[in-house]
Amino acid sequence: MYNRIIRNDMVKSKAVTLTTMIFIAAAAMLVSLAAILAVNLSSALDTMMTKAKTPHFMQMHAGELDTERLQTFAKENSNVEEFQVVEFLNLEGSEITLGENTLAASVQDNGFSTQNKQFDYLLDLDGNIINAADGELYVPISYKQDNLAEVGDRAVIAGKEFIVAGFLRDSQMNSTLSASKRFLVSEGDYKELRSLGYIEYLIEFRLKDPSKIGAFETAYSTKGLNANGPTVTYSLFKMMNGISDGMMIGVILLVSGLVVAISFMCIRFTLLAKMEEDYREIGVMKAIGLRVSDIKKIYIAKYAVIATVGSILGFILSLFLKEKMLENIRLYMGQSDQSANAILLGIIGIILIFFSILIFVNNVLRGFRKISASEAIRFGTSQDRNRKAKRLTLSRNKLWNTNIFLGMKDVLSRKRLYITMLLVLVIASFIIMVPQNLYNTISSKSFIQYMGIGNYDLRIQTTGIDVKDVPKMVDALKLDSDVSSYAVLTTKSFQVKMDDGSEENLKVELGDHSIFPIAYTEGRAPEADNEIALSKINADELGKQVGDILTLVKDGEERSFTMIGIYSDITNGGKTAKAVFTDDDEATVIWTIIPVSLSDHSHVEQVVNEYTDAFPFAKVSDIEEFVTQTLGSIISAVEMGSYASIAIALVITILITSLFMNMLLAKDKYQVAVMKAFGFTNTDIQLQYITRSVFVSIIGIVIGTLLANTIGEKLAGLVISSFGASTFSFTVDPLDSYLFSPLMMIGATLFATVFTTWRTGKINISENIKE
Amino acid sequence: MKKIIIGENIVKSFRKLNEEHNVLNGVSVEINKGEFVSLMGPSGSGKSTLMFALSGMDVVNSGRVIINGKDLATASENELSDIRRKTMGFVFQQPTMLKNLNILDNIILPSVRDNQKNKTEIVKKAKSIMKRVGITGLEDRDITEVSGGQLQRAGICRALMNNPEIIFGDEPTGSLNSQSSQEMMDLFSEINNNCTAVMLVTHDAKVAARTERILFMRDGEIISECRLPKFEAKDMDDRVEEVMVKMREIGI
Repeated sequence: MYNRIIRNDMVKSKAVTLTTMIFIAAAAMLVSLAAILAVNLSSALDTMMTKAKTPHFMQMHAGELDTERLQTFAKENSNVEEFQVVEFLNLEGSEITLGENTLAASVQDNGFSTQNKQFDYLLDLDGNIINAADGELYVPISYKQDNLAEVGDRAVIAGKEFIVAGFLRDSQMNSTLSASKRFLVSEGDYKELRSLGYIEYLIEFRLKDPSKIGAFETAYSTKGLNANGPTVTYSLFKMMNGISDGMMIGVILLVSGLVVAISFMCIRFTLLAKMEEDYREIGVMKAIGLRVSDIKKIYIAKYAVIATVGSILGFILSLFLKEKMLENIRLYMGQSDQSANAILLGIIGIILIFFSILIFVNNVLRGFRKISASEAIRFGTSQDRNRKAKRLTLSRNKLWNTNIFLGMKDVLSRKRLYITMLLVLVIASFIIMVPQNLYNTISSKSFIQYMGIGNYDLRIQTTGIDVKDVPKMVDALKLDSDVSSYAVLTTKSFQVKMDDGSEENLKVELGDHSIFPIAYTEGRAPEADNEIALSKINADELGKQVGDILTLVKDGEERSFTMIGIYSDITNGGKTAKAVFTDDDEATVIWTIIPVSLSDHSHVEQVVNEYTDAFPFAKVSDIEEFVTQTLGSIISAVEMGSYASIAIALVITILITSLFMNMLLAKDKYQVAVMKAFGFTNTDIQLQYITRSVFVSIIGIVIGTLLANTIGEKLAGLVISSFGASTFSFTVDPLDSYLFSPLMMIGATLFATVFTTWRTGKINISENIKE
Repeated sequence: MKKIIIGENIVKSFRKLNEEHNVLNGVSVEINKGEFVSLMGPSGSGKSTLMFALSGMDVVNSGRVIINGKDLATASENELSDIRRKTMGFVFQQPTMLKNLNILDNIILPSVRDNQKNKTEIVKKAKSIMKRVGITGLEDRDITEVSGGQLQRAGICRALMNNPEIIFGDEPTGSLNSQSSQEMMDLFSEINNNCTAVMLVTHDAKVAARTERILFMRDGEIISECRLPKFEAKDMDDRVEEVMVKMREIGI
């Protein structure tokens, strides 16, 4: 008997059943996809980093190398398993031509290496250790992604010809977030190139017990070994490698959460409507002595069928989609050996969804117990009316057109029903607003303040080695009429004394920070000699707050500083500090940055070219170019994401509104027939339905916008803070957020309502007026 | 005598199990201004269908329905709505009220559609009609908070709001006890005395006996007609007897 009841019911309400099934399928697909991707990502990442034998500790160093002391340290430290110093030959981007493309505009530090002997291997796309022959060049995988090179291309490096023999995976520098990229050449070719660029060293260690990395770091810095450059550990390599795909998985999980919520809303709505429709029948069944659980079974069985079909459909879809989604992971990290487990986890995720649906249905059906048999049979409808809506009477309504009034009154007196539609619309407007605001924020010019960069036009960067030439550049800038202002910010390495007496390296940017101010999340910029400001990540790691005292050690001499401010910084791994005191020791300079603002911004390109030519050792970049290249992929991903979200949200709005209006119309046939009998036209009735849906959607948009600007901002801030930015607030484009988006939503609601309710004309009075 | 409604050769059929069933087989009927008519017949004879056809709520398969000179076949949906709202009033067997409006709002509903501005007038009128039918004081009640008889009276109030030329009643006393039923019929008589035509569908001889022209239907046709003089309470038993005799005569 159940079979027949379920089948009839589904055939009768095809659209509703189908929509619910689609949402369940979408939810199942997304959850399964997220699970499959997560397992594959973590497995592929592990495989790559194991094969490549990524160092547990890597210290970049520019300048003289004290090999002897390093070797002694490696020998004496009991935790060191392997140790090597790798050369990284920096070449200007303009010296590198791949096929037709030059890397002149690249903001990456492009360098050349040979294959390592012991660990930190550069791998080919099959995961094998590459052995480059003379004349062969292996190119970082991200340049393949950017379509800058193809296998077989002719490459010219500093005048020497190469053939692009393949692409390489670099377990250290794969990510676009990593500022350096390694090319691989043969030992012979390397010797020839060696004199053409300047050399930085990668001091690398593999540890016996990688969990004791903290102690090792402290030991390294306490010894005062070469440390003129960034320090990176295994976990940071892992994070940088995984972050872009990880973020994608996060977004999929977030969206799947929303879709699950929408499926629940769909189910709740259809169930409530169905319960109201079947009120009398349920009463009768109760009256003749059927148990509540017997009646519930019929409804639960129906949703079990829908959920099963939806889940299976979603799983199959996820299997098809996973290939496409895994492309990026495969390209950057290679195959995972956990595909079977990934699929298993996907299935587990789907089963969880399946059961949560059944539990949810069961919960909604609790309302059955409240149905009184006598009331149901006598009135055929639930008797509890909303008290507040009662005061809203047609006779006292002076303001609204009768149809608009009736539409609003209906919403207010059946809140329980409309709240479901409202929630979906809230979610939909949230889905539109958050990515849109996020995109507006990160693409706005003021966003660079979260990167720890002030508002200027171009940026000249030199390494510690070229520090002697900085005054020449400053002289040139002084005389240049295009330049309106500039600052010289020198980053030096100091030891900071920890509370437990140990010492750690701290890179401090010295200079006048008032010329190009950045945003401080707490406190202010350092002004006096004994003041220092820390980036968010450093402040967290060192456990310092504004007002605390920080002790720096320089040549055995201790100096105390008052911590005066905390700022967001997403450059250089986010670990920086700012101070204004003078320190003339040129040897400790790691790099110098000269921000420049121009009197006429349109001259940027020309000025960049002039200074690139005049000071070939320095990296001169247009700040917008710098931001685009560092954040470009993220910005365009967020942009794509925000367009996709708009499309998804509008589709959801249209689907759900049509579904709800369809069901309402089916439920309200009798009421519609009554109104028609008393002379209301089809247009009148349509207007009432339009009022209902627009009324609900306006409330939904308002709530959704509020949520987007509060919870949504927090969520987005969470994502941004993982890069090192602290407090974050949306840059809202009022036109987009408060005009176009709401209009689009209302338009979608309107379209769906008009499209659905034109069939009020089909409601026959005589057939429907007899209850 | 002015004819409000003219029905000519009305045929109405429904599909049932893939077969066309004629419910009305070419019925012709005329309703005059101020007439008090009832339609009698067994279940399934087509009484209600004829009423729905004559009021323009149902589209006929063939034949013509003319209301105040307007052929319904040429009327648009909106014109049909206008005709229903301005020319007619309806009272159904079950109280057809909108659930989320109170009694007063239900009553004024058809009037406020056209006349937003004079709401005070409309409410005043509604209250006076409510007083006339004896349901003063129920204005703010929910439709579930009054008795079936009171709800039917409210239905009559609503039907009267736009000063219709004719009121249709589809078994208006069908769900009422005999006391309420009689009071309801008193109301219809009173309405009819004010020159509003009334057409009732009923299978109750007592109800039909209150009217002045009785049309008997069977199998989708009007098979007989009976006219009675203006109603007076003292003649009630004789009138009922006359209707019963007629029914036996034609075998319904």
